[in-house]
Amino acid sequence: MSTGSRSLPGRGTVSRRGLLRVGGGVVAATALPSLLTACGGGGSGGKVRIVGVADEQKPITQLLAAYRKSHPDFKASTSFAPTDDVQTVVRTQLAGGNAPDIHVLYPGSGSAMSMVELAKAGLLADLSDMAWTKTIPKSFDAAYRRDGKTYLYSAGSSIIGAIYNKKVFADAGVKPPTTWSELLDVCATLKAKGIIPIALGAQTPWVTQLITYALVPNAVYAKDPTFDDEMAAGRATFADSGWADAMGKYLDLQKRGFFNDHPDGTTYEQQTSMVATGKAAMAVQVSSVLSVFRAAAKNPDDLSMFPFPGGDDPAQLWIPAGIVVGLGVSARAKNATKARQFIEFLGTQENLNAWTTAVSAIPLQRDSTTKLDPALSEFLPIIDADRAVPFMDQRWPNAEVQPAHFAAVQDLLAGKTDVKGALTQMDKAYGKKS
Amino acid sequence: MKAPRIAGTRLGRRDPTVPPWLFVVPALVVYAFVVLYPSIAGVVYAFTDWSGIGSFSFVGLDNFHTLLHDDRALASVGNTLLLTVAIVVVQNAIGLLLALGVNTNIRSKALLRVVFFAPAVVSPVMVAFLWKYVYNPENGAGLNGILGAVGLGGLRQDWLGNPSLTLWSVAGMVVWQYAGYSMVIFLAGLQGVPAELHEAARIDGAGAWQRFRYVTWPLLAPALTINLMLSTIGGLKLFDQVYAATDGGPGTSSETLSTVLYKEAFVYGKFGYSTAVALVLALFVAAVSLIQLRYLRAREVTA
Repeated sequence: MSTGSRSLPGRGTVSRRGLLRVGGGVVAATALPSLLTACGGGGSGGKVRIVGVADEQKPITQLLAAYRKSHPDFKASTSFAPTDDVQTVVRTQLAGGNAPDIHVLYPGSGSAMSMVELAKAGLLADLSDMAWTKTIPKSFDAAYRRDGKTYLYSAGSSIIGAIYNKKVFADAGVKPPTTWSELLDVCATLKAKGIIPIALGAQTPWVTQLITYALVPNAVYAKDPTFDDEMAAGRATFADSGWADAMGKYLDLQKRGFFNDHPDGTTYEQQTSMVATGKAAMAVQVSSVLSVFRAAAKNPDDLSMFPFPGGDDPAQLWIPAGIVVGLGVSARAKNATKARQFIEFLGTQENLNAWTTAVSAIPLQRDSTTKLDPALSEFLPIIDADRAVPFMDQRWPNAEVQPAHFAAVQDLLAGKTDVKGALTQMDKAYGKKS
Repeated sequence: MKAPRIAGTRLGRRDPTVPPWLFVVPALVVYAFVVLYPSIAGVVYAFTDWSGIGSFSFVGLDNFHTLLHDDRALASVGNTLLLTVAIVVVQNAIGLLLALGVNTNIRSKALLRVVFFAPAVVSPVMVAFLWKYVYNPENGAGLNGILGAVGLGGLRQDWLGNPSLTLWSVAGMVVWQYAGYSMVIFLAGLQGVPAELHEAARIDGAGAWQRFRYVTWPLLAPALTINLMLSTIGGLKLFDQVYAATDGGPGTSSETLSTVLYKEAFVYGKFGYSTAVALVLALFVAAVSLIQLRYLRAREVTA
C-alpha cells in the first residue's frame, strides 16, 4: 500500500472521486430498504408469495404442481421454515406491512401466529364466501372462525393416540388396550418381558404435552363439554378440574415405571427410534409423525396406531383431534384474487384428501374418494360420534399457557413439583392478558 | 510499515503515521445506519406494550417494574451468571493448557491445532444438536456409553434431563466448542514471548513452573484480556446453544436472559417487555465488560 500510494499521480482527485463514489454508495444504501419493501410487497410481477411452515412443504408443493396444470400462467414463490422461524419471520413481515399473500396460520388462538391473534389485529382476509367453508362443522368453529367469519384454511385434523409396534405387541402376546385398566395390564406385561412399555421424549418440549392431551378429553370434556367456556369466563381452573386426574394418571404411568428412564433427558428422535426398533412398545404421539416413525423402522408396516384409552368404558372413549396447521390470506395481499383462487382450489374434496394424505391426517370432509391410512381407521367412529376434542391450546387465551404446560410436565417428571403445583403454574399463565 | 506520506502533505501538517479521521466516515456512516440507529430507535419499545404487530401505547417504566417481579426472568439472571463463570474459567483454563501443549515441539502439533480449533467453526446450533446425542441418557449410548466402557459407569448421568445438572451440561458443550478458540488466542500470545527471556531465566536457574509463572504468564496478559472479555460477553448473551439443546428446560432450569427475551418477543408476542429485558441485558454486558477491561488492561505488561 505504501509504495503504491506514493507513485499514484494526482492522488487528491482520485481520493475525492473515491469519496464521491462512497457517498453514492450511502445514498444507494439508504434507498435500498424502500426498494426492498416495494419488491417484497408483491409488486414482483403478479407472483403469489406463499410462506409455509416445514410441515406444509409436502402438501403445498404437491398441490401447487397440480394447480399449475389447470392454471399454467399461475406464478408463485414458496418458502418454508421451521415453526420457530416462521413465528419470527412472518410476524416481522406482518408488522412491517410486508406480508406474503398466503402464509402459515395456526388454528384457534393460543400462539403468536394463530388465527385469533392475527384476525384481532385485522391482518387476515375473510374467506367466508368460499364454497368449502360451508362444510366446516359447527364444532370446529373456534378453530376456523372468529365472529362468524372464516379466516383459516385447514385440510382437516390430526389425532393424538398411541403409535405402537405391532411386532413387539404380538411377540409379547398383548393386544391394543381399550380401557385405562387394560392399558395398565398391557404395560405391566411388557415391562415384565423387559420392554419399555411407553417411550417418552420429554426433553423435546412439544412432546411433553401429548400424554396430557390424550387423557384430558376423557377426564374433562366427556363430563363437561363446555369446559373451555367455563375457563374463559373465569368459572373454572386447571387445578380444580379433571386436568388434575389427567396429570395424576400421567404421573402414575411414570411411578409404575412404564416410561423409559430419564424421560426429561430423552429427545423426540430417541423416542422415535425406541419404538421403531422395538426397544419400546409404544409412544403417545400425533398421527402426523407416524410417517417419521415408519421411516425409522426396518419394516414400516410394523407401526400402527390405536386410540390411547383415558377412560374405562370403550364405548365412551373421547380423543383429541386438532385441526392441522393451515393457511391464511393476508388482508393486504397484493395478489389477493389469485391467492383466493388458489385457496378455493385447495378446498375441493380431492385436494382436502391430497393434503391430509400427505400429513397423515383426517380430511375435513370424507367421501368415497377419501383413502385413509388404515392406522387411523379405529379413530373414525369416535370422530363421527362427536367424541373428538380440539387440541386444548386452540382455545387458550394467550401464547404463554402452552409453554407453561411444557415446563410443568418437565418439572413433574423431574419430581420438582406435584400435580397441584404444575396446574397452578398453568392457571397463572392462563390469567395473563395476551 | 511506511506511512502514506502524500496524504499527509495534502491535508496539512499532521503526524504522517496517523491516517486522517475522515477515512472512518464512510464505515461509520454505514455502521450508524445499519447498527446504531436501529438499536437506539428500538429502545423506545422498551417503554411500550407493543405486541409485535399493530399499534401500541406508552406504559412508562411498567416493563421494568414487571421484570423486577418476574421470577422466571430473575432466575434466568442467576443461570446466566453461573453459566458465564463456568464457561469463562473452564474454557480459558483448558484453552491455555492446549496452547501450552501445542506450543512445544511435539510432532503433529500443526494437526492438533487444527483438531482443537475445528469445533469453533461449526455452527453452534449444529453443535447443540450433535451433543443431544452425546448426552443421551441411556446407559449404552453417547457419553454414558463411553463412561461405561472405561469402567466409570458410576458417573453416568441424565445429562440434559436432571434439572440440577442441565446448566453444567450446556456449559460443557460450550467449552468443548470454544476451548480451541481460546487456545488460538493464547497461542498468538505465547509466540510473542521472546525466546531470549526464557533463555535468560533458564540460565538463572528457573524451572519450568517458574519460567511460566514469571516470564510467560505476565506476557500473556493481553491475550488473557481478550479471552476473558470474549468469553464473558459470549457467556452473558449465550443463546443458540441453550435454545437448541434444552430450550430452557427441563422446566425453567436452564433459561438464560437471552432465551427469556427471545420467548417474550417471538413466542408470547410481548415485544415491549422483551425489549426492556434486552435493554437491561445490554447495559449489564456493557458494564461488566468495561469494568473487566479496566482491571485487565491495568495488569498488562510488555516485554
